Amino acid sequence: MPTPTPHVATPTRWTLFLRTFIPWQLWRFAMINLRMLGIIRSSHH
Amino acid sequence: MSRVVVLGSGVSGHTAAAFLRKWLGRGDTVTVVSPKDHYNWIPSNIWVGVGLMRPDQVTFPLRPVYERAGIAFVHGAARAIHPEGDRADATPYVMVEPTAAPGTRVKVPYDYLINATGPRLRFDRTPGLGPDGFSHSVCTEDHAVHAARAFDESVQRMRKGERQQFVVGVGHGTCTCEGAAFEYIVNLEFELRARGVRDKADITWLTNEYELGDFGMGGMHFRTGGYVQPSSAFNASLFAERGIRWVTRAHTTAVERGRAHYETVDGTQGELPFDFAMLLPPFSGVGLTALDRDGADITARLFQPNEFMKVDADYAAKPYEQWRARDWPRTYQSPAYRNIFAAGIAFAPPHAISKPYQTPSGAAVAPAPPRTGMPSAMIGKAVAASIVDMIRGADGPTHTASMAEMGAACVASAGANPFTGTAASMTVFPIIPDHERYPEYGRDLDRTFGEIGLAGHWIKILLHHLFLYKARLRPGWSLIPE
Repeated sequence: MPTPTPHVATPTRWTLFLRTFIPWQLWRFAMINLRMLGIIRSSHH
Repeated sequence: MSRVVVLGSGVSGHTAAAFLRKWLGRGDTVTVVSPKDHYNWIPSNIWVGVGLMRPDQVTFPLRPVYERAGIAFVHGAARAIHPEGDRADATPYVMVEPTAAPGTRVKVPYDYLINATGPRLRFDRTPGLGPDGFSHSVCTEDHAVHAARAFDESVQRMRKGERQQFVVGVGHGTCTCEGAAFEYIVNLEFELRARGVRDKADITWLTNEYELGDFGMGGMHFRTGGYVQPSSAFNASLFAERGIRWVTRAHTTAVERGRAHYETVDGTQGELPFDFAMLLPPFSGVGLTALDRDGADITARLFQPNEFMKVDADYAAKPYEQWRARDWPRTYQSPAYRNIFAAGIAFAPPHAISKPYQTPSGAAVAPAPPRTGMPSAMIGKAVAASIVDMIRGADGPTHTASMAEMGAACVASAGANPFTGTAASMTVFPIIPDHERYPEYGRDLDRTFGEIGLAGHWIKILLHHLFLYKARLRPGWSLIPE
């Protein structure tokens, strides 16, 4: 299929900024780790 | 005294052997048989493949680790399983070809056997594919080193003003591991930017996925911004942002010097010129045979035609729409022999997760189900626990690890830098969509999410060191989750 880039959602400048904004990413680091630990815990039988 | 033999020293086999040794008494033996005498943390090979890591940062020798742990190691490739022994002796054994003496065979007897042999890389399925042909791979650390050299040569040419074409993806319609190729292409793009030559590069993703973000698991759905969004939108956005073009629904028919040929589901015959191509191969089982007591070939009783081992799954042929999550195996015990198990990539999946398609010429465009590090390790651990209980008197397997009942956490690197890098952090639950439990999307949306950011890169680095620490069986290794 040809690449339909004009119809694709792209991130705003604010989203791009947050992706590497250290304080926000420290918070996300904690939250993503918690989510992943939850998945691991619920996957062990 | 019981003898447990593990074939393979990858994520699944190594995990199984380590837990067996931890849980079994000293009177029982654990033996690992593997043609590789070093451990490779394969998820980090993508960084070797763009020159950001050396091979010794993703590997370590296994012998000292096994000596310290009390695990016997046989350096060689398993060739045949004799589950009934032979006429002279009914003890089951595996016939192994030692690496130090090619062409010879040694018997390795067992009471319980775990087949964790992983995949055979089938570059031969596409003419010209692979390091012996015209494209690169990151499936092994050696392949990744060669890819990094070629990548570096392309960068040098770009610095002299030449334009370079990069093609990354999969080299056959039945490939799996699209996630690894995805990581590689976004890391490659990040590195080209980091080296200041991105403006001289055309990058194309070539994939057998029907939609971007399928990853061989039928795609995913995430809640985001008030919508439930498919992973195809997530991946398309990521590629568009990075200027990566894509070709989906493709079977790569041939690779020649500087050109990849493909056919898509709608019959389009296309070709992509390249200066550098990294295309992953399809997988099969490693080609083990099985013989009964009289030496008759019983390979078909233990293995599917794709050479992966049959376990407690429902292998009945049925239309895609009739496949169910409960078809997937739970204990990984062979239905033919109660003391044989298969773990990790070595077990035969009952069906594809992604809907299979065909090109008009009949080539399958059917991504195979991924069996990544986390489920492979969890399966290895569950199989080890069952075997320990069976040695202690249990009638059958006591532990389960169905991919339809477990989730997976995956972090896909999208650029390696401690301040400007990013990675896509994803979780899915369950791995195999269960449309009976979750009728709308097949998965629990409270436990399935995706997010891109620097935090993901930190997690990826953390996991790299944590899992290598665990694999080295350092103090406290068993406390680190799979």
